Amino acid sequence: MTSMIPELKPAGDSALLISFGEIIDEEINGRVHTVARAIEKAGFEWLVEVVPAYSSLLVVYDPLKATYAEVESAIKPLLSAETESFRGRLVEVPVVYGGQYGPDIEFVAEHNGLTVDDVVEIHSRPVYRVYFLGFLPGFAYLGGMDERIAAPRLEKPRLKVPAGSVGIAGRQTGIYPLESPGGWRLIGRTPLRLFNPSKEPPTLLQPGDRVKFVPIDESEFREIY
Amino acid sequence: MNGLIELLNVHSLLTVQDSGRPGYRKLGVPVSGFMDDYSARIANYLVGNPGNAPLLEFLLAGPTVRFNASAVFAVAGDVDVKLNGTQIEPWTSYWAKRGDVLEVGTLRNGLYGYIAFAGGIKCERLLGSCSAYPKAKLGRPLKAGDRLSLGYAILTGREGCYLPPELRPDYSSKEREIRVVLGPNLEHFSEAGVGTFLSEAYTVTPESDRMGYRLDGPAIEHSQRGADIVTEPLTPGAVQVPANGKPIVMMRDAQTTGGYAKIATVVSADLPLLVQSRPGTRVRFRAVGVEEAQEILRRREKTLKAIEGFLAGGMRAYKIKIGKGERIAFAKVEKG
Repeated sequence: MTSMIPELKPAGDSALLISFGEIIDEEINGRVHTVARAIEKAGFEWLVEVVPAYSSLLVVYDPLKATYAEVESAIKPLLSAETESFRGRLVEVPVVYGGQYGPDIEFVAEHNGLTVDDVVEIHSRPVYRVYFLGFLPGFAYLGGMDERIAAPRLEKPRLKVPAGSVGIAGRQTGIYPLESPGGWRLIGRTPLRLFNPSKEPPTLLQPGDRVKFVPIDESEFREIY
Repeated sequence: MNGLIELLNVHSLLTVQDSGRPGYRKLGVPVSGFMDDYSARIANYLVGNPGNAPLLEFLLAGPTVRFNASAVFAVAGDVDVKLNGTQIEPWTSYWAKRGDVLEVGTLRNGLYGYIAFAGGIKCERLLGSCSAYPKAKLGRPLKAGDRLSLGYAILTGREGCYLPPELRPDYSSKEREIRVVLGPNLEHFSEAGVGTFLSEAYTVTPESDRMGYRLDGPAIEHSQRGADIVTEPLTPGAVQVPANGKPIVMMRDAQTTGGYAKIATVVSADLPLLVQSRPGTRVRFRAVGVEEAQEILRRREKTLKAIEGFLAGGMRAYKIKIGKGERIAFAKVEKG
């Protein structure tokens, strides 16, 4: 079960996994990011990087500089740190809903007995949480979608989904950072670049950020583009 | 661009790789880098480079390359190599002059080979690394007609370095043992499942690339918690087991997070042996503790350092007979 005292275990010889249990929960995810920051800031010379996810984080280290036991005992004191309420930045993401940018929005509406306008309203109302990034560079796992617009994936994935596409898969919503194959139902597209390797940091969204979708029309899309 | 090296023929996946792109995994960017870091580092040492310098990594069949300026190079892999049509040796550094043509054949064993150039390949560093990860347009596969520049190496480039056969990695076995550290999701597997994983042989399938290797063999049984986990961070070497019970070993270009339970993680020192396993190769997994895995890696690092010293002339290698076997020992060359 979950607990605020995490379990530490080896993930091979070069990484240690800190797990707060298998759960998707905002408070637990806040702890994940708090602990991740504490480890990054501690200045351990064996630290390679920290990779957070929903309720766990991976501490990647150089095993030629420290043993597993040494890493474990260095990390333990940082786990008891008081949880400061972690709040990332609020990032507004402009989206053109429907039309050629969101060819599946009618399906999502019909599937849920809603109008297209309802879907736009329900999708753009909440403030979503970036639980973490993964799957593709810059892809954010967002929490907080209203279940009234949930929709099954495509039976046959598209071979090419344009970068910036906003989609729904089950109870999840997300933005494709790169052109790639994909099976999510597409409801819109943002002109913002989610991944740009010549920028530092290279991704628009960071773990722990909050996201608000802002409906825009096609002419604004071209302007930002 | 007036490249020093021109690719005349490219037969298969050919990319620039270095030791990888750590630091961006929390943004979803894979670590990438040399698939077989052991061979790649030795290729670099042969030409006097630091082990992490950018070089060419080829899959199975090597390219044909023309030198538009003189350069020192070495090829790592069990492969035929020709310079201007004359047979030369792999695991040896040579000096090529302007106009020379290097032809690298097809690997007899293993999957990935390396061509290192003194000074390293000069390339645009994206997020701190030259390693190609085409999926995110971080570099791209090279093709015929591409030209590459080299770094400055007049003082460090050296020809005539030679790695004796006894020191070369052997990727010829049809069945190999791969050591693993169990976990981190052991609770998702039944006791019988873990037993199957550690006692049966698994075969590398053709569905294997820089992202991951799919293996085939007896299905590994999950516990009641099932094959799916709440998505967790993932590291190269992790052995994921989806619901069909067949293991997938994650490699250098693996996504940074994953939703299948991981039964084990391949020890870093053994990952090249798995990387260099062609489809059809049988592997058996053996569990070791994390302390032992780290000790294995420290020993390997010592060997690599000794090889670097040996190739730089600061070490001598000796053949030692132990019983019926032989092994190589190193000793420092006394100065003065």
